[in-house]
Amino acid sequence: MKQVVVHPERCVGCMQCMLACATSHSKSLSLFAATRETPQPKPRIHVGAGRFNEGFPNRCRHCDPAPCQSACLAGAIYRRANTGTVLINPDRCINCASCAMACPYGVIRFHEDPLGPAGHSIAVKCDNCSSRVANGLIPACVETCKSGALTYEEMDAAMRRKNRAVARSMSLDAASSAMPTGVALLKTVRQSELQLQTSALRSQGGDNA
Amino acid sequence: MLDQNKELTVTQDGSRLYEKAKMDGIETVWERHEAQQPQCGFCDMGLSCRICIMGPCRVDPFGEGPQAGVCGADADIIVARNLCRMVAAGAASHSDHGRDLVEVLAGVADGTAIGYQIRDEEKLKRVAQEYGLAIDGKSTLGLAGELAQAMMEDYGMRQKAIKLVSRAPEKRRAIWEKFNLTPRGIDRETSEMMHRTHMGVDNNWQTLLLQAMRNALSDGWGGSMIATEVSDILFGVPTPRPTTVNAGVLKKDQVNIVVHGHNPVVSEMVSKACLTEDLVALAKKKGAEGINLVGVCCTGNELLMRRGIAMAGNHLMTELILSTGAVDMMIVDYQCIMPSVGKVAGCYHTKMISTSDKAQFPHMEHKEFHPDNAEQKAVEVVREAVENFANRGDVLVPVAPQKAVGGFSVETIIGALGGTPEPLVEAIKAGKIRGAVGIVGCNNPKIKHDYGHVTLTRKLIENDILVVDTGCVSVANAKAGFKLPEAADMAGPGLQEICNALGIPPVLHMGSCVDNVRILVLVSALANALGVDISDLPVAGSAPEWYSEKAVTIGTYFVASGVTTHLGPMPPITGSMNVVSLLTDGLKDVVGATFAVQPDPEKAAHFLRQTIEEKRKALGLDVRTVG
Repeated sequence: MKQVVVHPERCVGCMQCMLACATSHSKSLSLFAATRETPQPKPRIHVGAGRFNEGFPNRCRHCDPAPCQSACLAGAIYRRANTGTVLINPDRCINCASCAMACPYGVIRFHEDPLGPAGHSIAVKCDNCSSRVANGLIPACVETCKSGALTYEEMDAAMRRKNRAVARSMSLDAASSAMPTGVALLKTVRQSELQLQTSALRSQGGDNA
Repeated sequence: MLDQNKELTVTQDGSRLYEKAKMDGIETVWERHEAQQPQCGFCDMGLSCRICIMGPCRVDPFGEGPQAGVCGADADIIVARNLCRMVAAGAASHSDHGRDLVEVLAGVADGTAIGYQIRDEEKLKRVAQEYGLAIDGKSTLGLAGELAQAMMEDYGMRQKAIKLVSRAPEKRRAIWEKFNLTPRGIDRETSEMMHRTHMGVDNNWQTLLLQAMRNALSDGWGGSMIATEVSDILFGVPTPRPTTVNAGVLKKDQVNIVVHGHNPVVSEMVSKACLTEDLVALAKKKGAEGINLVGVCCTGNELLMRRGIAMAGNHLMTELILSTGAVDMMIVDYQCIMPSVGKVAGCYHTKMISTSDKAQFPHMEHKEFHPDNAEQKAVEVVREAVENFANRGDVLVPVAPQKAVGGFSVETIIGALGGTPEPLVEAIKAGKIRGAVGIVGCNNPKIKHDYGHVTLTRKLIENDILVVDTGCVSVANAKAGFKLPEAADMAGPGLQEICNALGIPPVLHMGSCVDNVRILVLVSALANALGVDISDLPVAGSAPEWYSEKAVTIGTYFVASGVTTHLGPMPPITGSMNVVSLLTDGLKDVVGATFAVQPDPEKAAHFLRQTIEEKRKALGLDVRTVG
């Protein structure tokens, strides 16, 4: 079964997946019109910044067993049998946030949603774009990702690919990094900028102490 | 990769050549457009900013993420700054094209522009008078030199207003004065626009957009207008002449040379070289029947307007024309030349020559043309093209050429009316012609090739609206057969009657994209004849398939001049509803005209007809209900 696989080293932090996610969970399904909807649709995928400000697309892992599901006393959270997708029934959610406290990844949000009951906040998270997939499309975040940080494939296939890349990088004459030079350069510069900032802070702190 | 059921073009030559290109393994603009999908939503909404490197920044339109750039600029400021920079780039492009012509004019005066000459002395005198120059007792070359100097002043900062704004109706000029929109210098306004959009300068989105209008006006009534007027002086005022259009203008048995780009400075010399007797003889010796010069894009329009030279296609046809395998050489100058064409040509025997010191391209041979060597360089490259004829492989010329008439300068139109705009005014007053729409601009793979142009034009002439066109639109409309006097049959009864009486087509080809200024001059003449402002006239503008920064500038100087203008594709402004509502509504209270966006040409026709009927009503003329 295909699923969304995250390749963090490829994320350039453009946040396109967030826009695409919010749009595909809107009523109008078009970016511009979606920004004019009330309530406003919100993304289910969240790009966070790493220690070196590198992007990281954070989304629901659809864990099994799912801590959120175990924590949901209202019984709103369930698993779709054929796809394994963990879903929230908006009509049963009591907005208690137990699921959020249980979630190890911080990918559940609470707000009024165009696809939920009117005038009432509910827990919202990634639904694996179930309705898009049912229509033969791939998840919106994957479709929009231009750097290959998000792919839609069999997990085993993704792991085989990664295994091959790791193995090749272990060869003695292999280039040290499979990363394109420009991307690597930018990462290095960003890291050193940040290191300068933090070491400056440290030395300041040291002086004060 | 492309959806097989998706029709990319309404043109027959386009779809056949696309099939050929696909078979030949050529990647075209459509595949690259597909590969870019989905395109960046932040950029599409104007919400990304790369102006400084505290950024790059973007504002989240859904309100979850950042709502301001690092500097603190909110969505309104970021959207406005981005749009302003598009206007500045467009104005810079057209006005720099104008600058090159002024340099040739100066070169003719001092004898350094070899092979160029003053072809229209009358126009030289007319324009010189408008610049306040005394013409009596001066030699032609002396006057040309003085005019070139005066035009150079227009580019600078030594005057309060550029000279040719004097052509605008008095009421229009008063509006510009009132809102501080009168352009002072051509380069000055572009420079100021770039200055104001630097981080930490103008952060009022309204005043930014006002400067964008002044910047656009500095092009419309300045740089572009100079480009057109000097081209007329150097190469002649266009007059109607028969021509042919579409890929069928390429000849299997002749050396085919295609000029691509914008400035007549190069293409005029190439056209002269193609007539050289020994080169024609050489072509015959090589087994060709002769040398066939054709154009794509606006430098082709320049030649078509003045020499009746055929047009092979518009923007989205430029790659496909090469896939005929029939092009022995393509000579380019600048603007709208996709960097891909050199690679496409690599699949055939076609030689690619770049000519401008400011524009180089991958997989092209660079042979720089300057005013002092252009005549000789042109002969050199045409000779190479002739030599290349022998290297041709298989050729596909997919259709027979379509006949058309082009060359409608303002001088010609007024001339055809008997020396005064009065008969046109009368026809509008009587309601036979409801009004006029200038359809201008580009192609864009976001819209089915030429569908927007042809559909809109057909709907408008059917409803008795006279259409004038320029640039890529003019090629689309000529291919659709709208540019023959017989096409009057496609027009509504009133327009048909007028066209038949004057022997003109219902769609008039007014030139290249700098020649949009001819439309400004024409509407000014109409407004003056009626004693009203341009914004009172039953006229409108439209760019159904626009893509370029130049088009943003043209649209902006149309609107700032009082012409309500429709755009097919949405400009990148939807990130700020304040900017959207100012441009589509609020500007009415400033300049008496607005923008409207509508990708569907049928609906756009409806909107434009309504706009025209509303203007008629305000003028006290008869009104039709637009169903």
